[in-house]
Amino acid sequence: MSTTAVAQRLKEIWETPDSIWGKFATVDHKEIGIRYLITAFVLMCIGGVEALCLRVQLARPDMLIMPPEMYDQLFSMHGITMIFFYAYPILAGFSNYLIPLMIGSRDMAYPRLNAFTYWSFLFSAILMYIAPLMGQGPHAGWFSYAPYTLYRYSPGHGMDFYAMALIFFMISLTAGGINFITTILKMRAPGMSINKMPLMCYSTLTISFAGLFAAPALIACCVFLELDRRWGTHFFSVAGGGNPVLWQQLFWFFGHPWVYIIFLPATAMVSMIIPVFSRRPIVGYSYVAVSTMLTGVVGFSVWLHHMFTVGMSDMTMSFFSAGSMMISLFTIVQIVCWVVTMWKGRLVTTTAMHYAMATIAVLIVGGLNGVVTGIIPVDWQAHNTYFVVGHIHYVLIGGNMFPVFAGLYYWYPKMTGRMLSEKLGKVSFWVMFLGFNVGFFPMQIVGLLGMPRRIYTYPSGMGWAAMNYIETVGAFVLAGGILLSVINFIVSRKSGRIAGRNPWNADTLEWALDSPPEPYSMVHFPTVATRHPLWDQHDEEDDPDNMRVLDGGRLTYITSWLDAEVVSVAKMPEETLAPMLLALMMFLFFLALAFQLVIWACGGFGATLLVAFYWLWPRKKGEEAL
Amino acid sequence: MNHSVPINRSSKLVALDLPLDDTRGIWAMWMVVATEATLFICFFGAYFYLENNKDRWAYNHPPAEHWGWGMLAAILLSALTIWLGDRAVMRRSYGHARALLALTLLLGVGYLIMQGFDFAGHWATLTPYSNSYGSIFYVIESFDALHAIVGVLILAYVLALPHYAPARRAPYRPYRVAAIYWYFVATIWIAIFCLLYIIPNLRVYGF
Repeated sequence: MSTTAVAQRLKEIWETPDSIWGKFATVDHKEIGIRYLITAFVLMCIGGVEALCLRVQLARPDMLIMPPEMYDQLFSMHGITMIFFYAYPILAGFSNYLIPLMIGSRDMAYPRLNAFTYWSFLFSAILMYIAPLMGQGPHAGWFSYAPYTLYRYSPGHGMDFYAMALIFFMISLTAGGINFITTILKMRAPGMSINKMPLMCYSTLTISFAGLFAAPALIACCVFLELDRRWGTHFFSVAGGGNPVLWQQLFWFFGHPWVYIIFLPATAMVSMIIPVFSRRPIVGYSYVAVSTMLTGVVGFSVWLHHMFTVGMSDMTMSFFSAGSMMISLFTIVQIVCWVVTMWKGRLVTTTAMHYAMATIAVLIVGGLNGVVTGIIPVDWQAHNTYFVVGHIHYVLIGGNMFPVFAGLYYWYPKMTGRMLSEKLGKVSFWVMFLGFNVGFFPMQIVGLLGMPRRIYTYPSGMGWAAMNYIETVGAFVLAGGILLSVINFIVSRKSGRIAGRNPWNADTLEWALDSPPEPYSMVHFPTVATRHPLWDQHDEEDDPDNMRVLDGGRLTYITSWLDAEVVSVAKMPEETLAPMLLALMMFLFFLALAFQLVIWACGGFGATLLVAFYWLWPRKKGEEAL
Repeated sequence: MNHSVPINRSSKLVALDLPLDDTRGIWAMWMVVATEATLFICFFGAYFYLENNKDRWAYNHPPAEHWGWGMLAAILLSALTIWLGDRAVMRRSYGHARALLALTLLLGVGYLIMQGFDFAGHWATLTPYSNSYGSIFYVIESFDALHAIVGVLILAYVLALPHYAPARRAPYRPYRVAAIYWYFVATIWIAIFCLLYIIPNLRVYGF
């Protein structure tokens, strides 16, 4: 059989039917990855508009554009949207789309679970946004400290929706983590031993494990919160023997690993992009890989640095302060590797590279003021001021948003087959970079001048007015820069230059495929001999007798987790509506719980189980369950 | 569109004569167990954290143990039966496997019934609304019961599966996956029984 005939056969096997049913039933990781990216980007725009409203309110002293309660809801939703519903899902989108292509697999390990992960993310975001649309949004910030969140102080449904939507979202996160771990450890192309896999696999693996062990803490504290609010228990109320600090302990046990979950894959994208545009392999591959994993591990032992002002023993604080200092070393290792790679290489200053280099600059500022706040007496002074707001934005915009834009500019040609406008891209970059620094650097200064965070206005004569005005201008400039990129994404979709397979002359396997890739990704499974498959002399696709095509059904290789030797063939599932239905039933379950409708919640739970059993039931004689 | 292409493993196109993968479900279940176990560890952490408020802690009346011993016996026995059943599947004695699974299911139901009596016994002196001790005690108990109910449903599902020996390899997957979950349910009860029952009783009454 000729290669064309094989390709045609593979396409028939793997293509999702182009129908409405197919849209809801697809299990194709490329389709799901792009949906993740678009959904998360839209949520980022919503969160961004919320931030602009906040900045308008804070532009001048004694402003009253919105009432304080509305301000509280807006800043809470801004934080919740950005930290939960944008920062992780956008990275999950990249990983979903790219990792199977990078490791030479035809799909994720559990394609239906992958579809479920997307649908449950979407429905949990919708669930979260029902509350503010009812005028009862959560209003206690993204970390919602008890006892302010108890019913007595926060009546209405806002905090109920917060608790339910986050539990739902954590289920999505856990399912995604399980999928990434199995995919990365079991489905790499023959020969791609664990020391040859792209660095993005290390970061995704690390955050997936971190998610498995961090998410339960958030689920636990949200369960306690909801029970305290509506069902009369006493976890956080002192009167009943509870302890409000329990919330902080559990939330930050989740929260600090979460910071690395939304940060590490973004740094890995920088680790993928910088070598390509420095025209040389990354310096210190092993050091970057190991420091990525150590960040994930040590990230579990620093959570108390969010609580230095709560009151605890000097010994405890010193331990966690030391842990916080130590973790910065691992980021420094990565940054040194990036800088030396650029130093030893020959730079190609594309837009993606601009964003990648800006990541380094911004991250160093954010990282350094993070180290400063890890020092206990400094933290006592800076805690709850705008200094911390400046820090978190330098870390998260430097450590998440700039890398994400680098990734979008870098992989957009692979996803769409079209090049983005480099000229418009660079204009967008400089506007964003300028706007970001103008908008957020002064926050550190007003913070040191004593401006507390989460105040909806401030009196004149405090000396904060000018800085706040500059911050507002900067925020709008940043938004303008993002808008330019959005225009670029939309316009280039139709009119961009045709990209071809490997426009950047990059080294990893996804660039060997068509742009955009076919539903089956590759005709011949590659064999990998080095870390830079497309830069070496080995012909990955050399398979003259069609021995590595697996066209006898939806099949892909399973390889050993360390050496990537082929051990078996995995049968992959076909399109099904079950994942979407399962997510929908869970949505109804959590919606009912948010309104304390017990009967409906029981119905939702039963329906969830029924759909799960339908999902797993063998369809045809001989087909395995699970 | 032909999605039902048969897998012809002797075909040169598939090549290498490789077995079909039978491990992904097991990997997934181990990870589910890891994350669920972490949830219980968080609960136990909360239990000991709240204990710091000594004046509200109900150690004067530690929970009665008698139903707990019965539950422990039932769950350990059921873990043994499903382990034997899993071995039977690997020996391809499917009849034995099914019988042992039915026995496991019965023991699981027995465990749940005893848990109901245990609950009712505690309720006379302690409710989730009494104080923080009652709250965390009942949350841990309820989540354990929830996991046991889901476990029983999974066992019933595997029991209802038409065959464990389909035409292809890897017939024992659903059975093995259910077994792993059931071992987890058993382990959790051991942990709960030690931490919430035995240790408080020892503290108050001694050996």
